[in-house]
Amino acid sequence: MTAAVAAIGRSGARQLSVLGGLARFVVRTVQASTRLTRAGRWVMLRVLLSQIRFTALQAIGLVAFLAAILAFLVISQSIRQLGRFGAVNNLGTIMVVAVIRELGPLLTALIVVSRSGTAIAAEMATNRVMGEVTALEAMGIDPYIYLVLPRMLGAIVSVATLMVVFDAVALLGGFVGAATNGMSFTAYTAIVLRTLSAKDIWLTLAKGLFFGSAVAAFCSYHGLAVKAGPTEIPQAVTRGVVSTIVAIFILSALFVAVAT
Amino acid sequence: MTIPPTARASRAPSASVVLGPGVAAIEGAPPLVYRDVDLLGRPDRPDRRFTLVVPAEAVVAVIGEEESGVEALGRLALGLDAPATGAVEVFGVPIAALPYAQLLVFRRRLGYLPQGDGLLQNLSLRDNVALPVRFATDHRLREVDTRVAQLLDDFRLRAIATLRPAQANEEDRRRAAVARSVALDPRLVVLELPFVGLSSRAATDLLDKVSHRDDGSRRAVLLTSRDLSPSVRTLVTSVVRVVDGVATDETK
Repeated sequence: MTAAVAAIGRSGARQLSVLGGLARFVVRTVQASTRLTRAGRWVMLRVLLSQIRFTALQAIGLVAFLAAILAFLVISQSIRQLGRFGAVNNLGTIMVVAVIRELGPLLTALIVVSRSGTAIAAEMATNRVMGEVTALEAMGIDPYIYLVLPRMLGAIVSVATLMVVFDAVALLGGFVGAATNGMSFTAYTAIVLRTLSAKDIWLTLAKGLFFGSAVAAFCSYHGLAVKAGPTEIPQAVTRGVVSTIVAIFILSALFVAVAT
Repeated sequence: MTIPPTARASRAPSASVVLGPGVAAIEGAPPLVYRDVDLLGRPDRPDRRFTLVVPAEAVVAVIGEEESGVEALGRLALGLDAPATGAVEVFGVPIAALPYAQLLVFRRRLGYLPQGDGLLQNLSLRDNVALPVRFATDHRLREVDTRVAQLLDDFRLRAIATLRPAQANEEDRRRAAVARSVALDPRLVVLELPFVGLSSRAATDLLDKVSHRDDGSRRAVLLTSRDLSPSVRTLVTSVVRVVDGVATDETK
């Protein structure tokens, strides 16, 4: 019994230690952003743009495809089930609350974690193992500026952008689902617009900020924490991705608790 | 800046000279001093302490076997590791005592070639050479490009400048890494095992370039090595052998 309690305590302490380390990591990144030189800003911008290209631009197709399929399925099924009870007017609530407000940001963030989070963690871990982080520090370059900051900003911009894309395509996919079940475009638009509000826009942006930060922070943190050697890289990637997914679900729950 | 009181060298003169934004060094102090440093992690052996002064404009080679402690010297000089005993002073400043942000600024006045080469694998050789100039100075982009072009010419890298490190051969990688280490024209350069895998001629050529500053004056160089070829020895001011963590003078 005592051993079990001790094990739980150790695990809790470990998690708290990770959270503390992560908080310091984020604070150091923000502090580092104030020490950028003029030419350094250009280099960081270049890294940032390449990050956005990989994280957002190259993921648009996948996000749009999944958004269309998800919205089509949800709306098709909803119309059939709600129609049996004469509650088709509630379709807007399902579309906006379930798809746009909750599933959209969640799925988008999960796509970014699986594509870019893994890449960030693996790249950071490789940087560490190859001695590149030490080389940067030896040159007087803060690794937080060169490695972490552009990825953090890139992930925030990318996740927010992809969420907007997801929402736009989901609305269209939902219409296709509605149309195949006999609903007109006018009726679909009226039902959805009745539920959609400005709050959904700022919620999307806020989730983009928080989810994007979580992807970059957790994956960078675990990537840079590698010490022993190349064999630790896959473990760091796994740790980074799993902790980001958990964080995103917790953040989603917090958004529901706080903002709705 | 001003160096924090705790970071001031106890035996150095008090006049200071500004090395960069926020960082000063003690005027007249030798570029690099190791004083009673434990290289082997043996606090129980006070007789095994390393002391060495690298004077201005001198090329000092420290040679030793793998377990001698010679590999610790570079990281100690850059403040990447703190000495367990004694002190490492760079331009009169105990470098390991500087706060992190000031340490970064201070290091911009030092050149460092880590063991291997420390080149960033996702950047071209050109971008690797440009990195310190872009990040550690406030130069305009055009000034950065001019400086980088000059370095690429000096180290004969122009033709291969677009290659990634993995696409270049060992000698070219080493030349790029050394070019990067002198990109900011430092007064002190620390080279860790710089000649491994290089021909004697390439090693001599590299050391000759590194030991001169842009204005033609000589710069202080500390290099670590397993051994030195006779041709390289001709360019070295003094050779020190580390045995079991202790420096012993070796005849040139």
